Parts: sequence; structure tokens; C-alpha cells
Amino acid sequence: MTLPIMVKDLSFRYQGSKKEILTGINITVNQGEILAIVGLSGSGKSTLCYCISGIIPHIYQGELSGEVLLKGSSTRSLSLPRIATQLGIVFQNPETQLFFPIVEDEIAFGPENLCLAREEIGQRLAQVLELTGMERQRYSNPQLLSGGQKQLIALSSVLSLQPDILVFDEVMAQLDPAGKELIKNMILNLKEQGKTVIMIDHDCDNLVIADKVKILKQGRLLDFDGTFS
Amino acid sequence: MQLDPRTKLIMVFSLSTLAVFVQDNRLLLLVLIVSVLLVAYFTADFRFVKKARKFIILFLGIAIIQSIFAPEGEVLFKLGDLTLLTAGGLQKGIRVILRMLIIIVSAVIMTGSSAREIVQGLIRWKVPFEIAFMVSLATRFLPILGEEARDVYIAIQLRGIEPEKLPLKQRIKLYSYLLMPVLTGVIVKARELSTSMEMRAFRAYPRRTSYLRLEFKQQDYIVIILSLSFLMVILLLYLLNIW
Repeated sequence: MTLPIMVKDLSFRYQGSKKEILTGINITVNQGEILAIVGLSGSGKSTLCYCISGIIPHIYQGELSGEVLLKGSSTRSLSLPRIATQLGIVFQNPETQLFFPIVEDEIAFGPENLCLAREEIGQRLAQVLELTGMERQRYSNPQLLSGGQKQLIALSSVLSLQPDILVFDEVMAQLDPAGKELIKNMILNLKEQGKTVIMIDHDCDNLVIADKVKILKQGRLLDFDGTFS
Repeated sequence: MQLDPRTKLIMVFSLSTLAVFVQDNRLLLLVLIVSVLLVAYFTADFRFVKKARKFIILFLGIAIIQSIFAPEGEVLFKLGDLTLLTAGGLQKGIRVILRMLIIIVSAVIMTGSSAREIVQGLIRWKVPFEIAFMVSLATRFLPILGEEARDVYIAIQLRGIEPEKLPLKQRIKLYSYLLMPVLTGVIVKARELSTSMEMRAFRAYPRRTSYLRLEFKQQDYIVIILSLSFLMVILLLYLLNIW
């Protein structure tokens, strides 16, 4: 069976930097599994996220060796729009992920880019809003929502592309406890639907929902024993 | 009345064109009155009055500057040898004020439409999506830029510096320190935004579909005809000097 995500001996160095930020990373994630990756600030968590989601090498340049396989295909050979239909990524800051004045437009943006028919977009909109429990906010301005709700809208906009894999890059970092609960429940809900999840975090309280936890230390991925030291 | 954003754009275009072309103050006043009535009818949003009040001093300044540098006609006010206010200068000053007011007031008509609707309207007029979308992004992110500059300014004040009490030379130097963090913040935000867009399949294909559907209704056609007729009539009145 083809694994949703397989990272083979991945190393990466940013352009102009002498130091490798990631060294010999190997990851396998099964379908419907939640993998959490923790690490201190500057340990390369976000860079790993970018490598898994194809942002490196497609947007950010650098020296990349090894391979990231999404359902057996290398991210190097896949175009970003193609990756976007397989993998969705939600970033830490919802402000820079939401750029329309109405939630509905925000969620429709991805499917519109894929040239889907209007009826299909409508169906996806309804489906995603129901899944994230944001039906009542459909015509709201995303900027007027709470932090947790904004992240749910950012997630909804990614889910409307119907990816099987989801990457969360410290999505709970800016949220209050209630917002964190909202997102954690959502991630568990997605797991139940068979989605594969990679969540990057540095807060141990958020790891309870993960099936596997790894720690990124000085560019290497190790098993997490519960401490950052 | 809910109008198509394209209809509103035509209204704004007609009023702004008149503001630029017409040189007659009485006609400009008429255009301004029509603009205010249109705002009252279509949006009932008079917050601009509050904003316009802030510009009164600026408007008066313009009138005086026009009078000093373009002294025409009868002298109304003199300070020694210096002519401060002339009839011609005052007229020109009033013209500038009327033009500004017409442009500000007519732009208020657009506030009833969301940025998405305006983008879609422009796309229907064959403006490439990328350009129309960039315009809407700019309107969304400009206030954030201001907030960022304010944050950096407060951060400087929190370090014990009182910019208002600094001599002008040092104050200018201080403002140059604002530039770097604001610029860095903007670049980081722009990068995050473009990454987020790319990861949502932006420009996956040369064309894209739209969930939002815009359609002209009967009322749109009526308003467009009235707007263009108003434009033509006022231009004719002005050009033929009938008024």
C-alpha cells in the first residue's frame, strides 16, 4: 500500500547558509494517523513543514537532498496546484491566510482556482462549513471572528480542496485555551474521516491527540521522551 | 437598492469625470449635490462627512495658496504689499475643494459592494483576475501597514524616546528607523500571503471559475443610462456654455 507521506533521508540548507537546518530526516505516516513534531524555536520545524508540503523547493530555494513522497510521488515532480489537491497546509498566522472580506469567498477561492463548476463549489462550501461548524459565519467578515474561528476558516479554505493530508504549522500558537480546544477537536474529527495529519507544535499540552510524537533537535528527528532538553 | 458593482463603477466614473473636466463652480456644485443625493439613496452612509470635516483646514489652505500663487481678479484681502485673497484665487480654491469633495463622496457609493464583488465586476470587464485581485488585496492590507507602523512607533516610545520633543533633524532620523522594521514586516507578510495563495492552487490554470455570479438587472440598466446621460448633459452644458 502506498503511504500518504514518506520522507527519505531529507536534508536541507537555505541559500547562503553554511549550516544544514535539516539532516537525514526519515518519516513515514500511515493513513488516518496524527504525527506530532515538536522542537524548540529555530529547530527547523517550519522548514520541515515547507519541505513536506512542497513549498521547498517550489517557492523557497535552497540545497535539498533526499525525497518527500506524497502517495508515492515526489514533491519535486508534482506542481504546487497538484500538491494542493493532495495536501493542505494551515499556517500559524491566520491573518495572512485570509484575504477576502466574506468567509464564503475565502473558502471558494481554492475550488475556483481548480476551475470547478459553480454547483460543485457550492456543495464543497456547504460540506466544509458543516464539518468545521462554521455555517453561521458563512457571510461574516473573517477579520471580525475570534482567533480560533479564524483558524477554522483558514482550515475550511484548505479543506475545500479536499486534500487527504493536512499539515498544521503551529496553528494553536496564537490561540487562547478555548480556541485550542476547537482546533484539537477539529483535528480529531479529521482523523476519524481518515485524513492523515502532521502537526507541528511546541506546546506539550497539544500533543495528547497525536498517535506519534517526534522531536526535532539540531536538524535531526528523534523519538520524543517528553522533554525538550 | 442593490446594484451591480459595475453599475456603481460607472456612476463613480461619470461623477469623477465631471469633477476633472468641468471648470465651472456652479456646475461642480450641482454635480456635488447629485453625488450626495446618490450616496443618500444608495448607501445612506454619511460617515464621510465626519472624515471630510478633518480636511476643512486643508481646503482653506488650498484656497489661500491658490489666491497667492494665482492672483486673478479683484483683490479681496491684502496684507501690506502681499495679496492674500483674490476673487479669481478664491474661485480656483473653491473649484479644487468641490472637485475633491465630488471624488470623495462619489467613492462612497462603492462602499456598499464588497471587495470580492468589485473584483468580479472588473473581471467581467476583462481585467485580468491577478490585477483585479491585487487591487483588492492592497485595500485589505493597507490598514495593516498602518497598524504595523504604529506598533513600531509605540515600541520606540516605550524605550523612553519622546518623538514630539526631538528636534526636527533627529525626528527625521528616528522615522528612518521606523522604515526598516515596517518594511521587513511587510515583506514577511507578503511572502506568507503568497505562499498561502499558492498552496490553495492560485494560478493552477490560465482561467478560473467564479462562485460569485454577477448579473445586470433592469434597475442596473436604468441607472447606467441615467448616469451616462447626466455625464453627457453636464458636459454639453459646460462645453456649449449654456449654463
